[in-house]
Amino acid sequence: MIRLKNVSKTYPNGTVGLQNVNLHIRPGEFVSVVGQSGTGKTTLAKMLIAEERPSHGQIVIGGWDITEIRRAEIPYLRRQIGVVFQDFKLLPKKTVYENVAFALEVCGAESRKIKAIVPQALKIVGLTAKADRYPRQISGGEQQRVVIARSLVHRPKIIVADEPTGNLDSLNTREIIDLLKRINDFGTTVVLVTHNKDVVNELQRRVITIDRGLVVSDQEEGKYVL
Amino acid sequence: MKTFVSILRSLRFGLQNFGRNIWLSAATVLVLTLALVSVNALVSLNVLGQTALAALRSRIDVSVHFKPEVDESRVQTVRIALLALPEVSSIQYVSPAESLESFSQTYGGDQAVAASLSEVGANPFGAALIIRGRDLTGYPKIMAALEDQQFASLIEDKDYDNRQAMIARLESISSRAAFGGLAVSGLFALIALLIVFNTVRVSIYTHREEIGIMRLVGASDWFIRLPFYVEAVLSSVAALAVCAGLLLPFLIFAGPYISHFMGTPDADLLQFYRTHAFQVFGLEFMAIAALAVLTTKAAAAKYLRV
Repeated sequence: MIRLKNVSKTYPNGTVGLQNVNLHIRPGEFVSVVGQSGTGKTTLAKMLIAEERPSHGQIVIGGWDITEIRRAEIPYLRRQIGVVFQDFKLLPKKTVYENVAFALEVCGAESRKIKAIVPQALKIVGLTAKADRYPRQISGGEQQRVVIARSLVHRPKIIVADEPTGNLDSLNTREIIDLLKRINDFGTTVVLVTHNKDVVNELQRRVITIDRGLVVSDQEEGKYVL
Repeated sequence: MKTFVSILRSLRFGLQNFGRNIWLSAATVLVLTLALVSVNALVSLNVLGQTALAALRSRIDVSVHFKPEVDESRVQTVRIALLALPEVSSIQYVSPAESLESFSQTYGGDQAVAASLSEVGANPFGAALIIRGRDLTGYPKIMAALEDQQFASLIEDKDYDNRQAMIARLESISSRAAFGGLAVSGLFALIALLIVFNTVRVSIYTHREEIGIMRLVGASDWFIRLPFYVEAVLSSVAALAVCAGLLLPFLIFAGPYISHFMGTPDADLLQFYRTHAFQVFGLEFMAIAALAVLTTKAAAAKYLRV
């Protein structure tokens, strides 16, 4: 599903993001990428959605070599990968429903399709009753659920979640992780970037540990070891 | 179908952007309008200048006054000889009696002139030929032909030079006015360019969150950029509408005064805009929209990293 071969990333100012990373993530896996701040976790997440390009190496997603992906192809890649960020990235002047529908609207989906898919996505994340609320009228955990619903509308094969619980309390964190586990149970590959030790230890899934740009550990049913 | 839906949504987003940043849009429309008004002032000046020149040209002729002792047959011989010149379009013969009558009509009220004529007794005027050339460039050759010794001895006076000077002066004023108008239009175009650039920059900044989300969820490059182009074209359409809205009442009100000032009913700007509205406003729209779209392209390339 996702394969990184000798991937390195060095920024123009000389900062090293990743060093010679080799990874293979199989379809349907739930993988946690852990490490301290500034170790290259987010760089890895950004490379998976082609927001960053590797300086060296090769990245293949679902048989598609995205190492030298053309700009015009990036939207098609992003429609296949759902993205969830720590800072939600919701539009404050749109309702919950409109925020989720926006992902389909900007990709040219027909109104009929939008009307069919958005309620389904909201049902999965448990926000059907709050479809008409604005982001400021719902809790942080609910806002992150809206983001997850938005990432689901393209029926992605992969979800990349970069610190999705970073702004949430423990109760909301549990809800979001449970939701990601349910989505993974449907067969979607989940790449969870986090430095939340409790989340990783509770999940008991594969854990990839990055330190100073290097993969220092890759364990099935691993623990947060740093 | 998908592309059609995307285009419609881009149009909608462009309209929304235009409305949400209404003051910024208004400033852009105002500057584009100023550029268009200056261009139309230039067009009007050009039309009036051309009308004045055409009127003046139609009145150009060479009046050749023969000595009173030259009889009609000799004048007709000169006339036939001149008609053979390719530069000559027509020649009107004016008999001495007609010359006198014309003079009397012009100066009949002047007692001193009447007394002088009475003192002379006989008709003091000779015959005259009024020569019209095919175009302005032919007159020097006609004048040269009249200098020929066989004609020169018969001619008392020729009248041409004053009008030539007037035409040269009018052409000079017209071309200077056109240059000045072009400079003003160029200045407004430059200001419009900078304002449109800034509008797009601010618009991109205002919508940075939305653009970021569009990128994340897989909106295509052109879908993100198109609303900004829609905004630019909308500003151009609005500016053209405002310009036409200002110009029409002005022409209805000032048209008769302009015609009166120019001394010819041909100087009818309203009629010009009626018959040339599609060409003038079509070209102006294309020019202003091209300017706005190209500036948007430059601003988007600089500030919209998709």
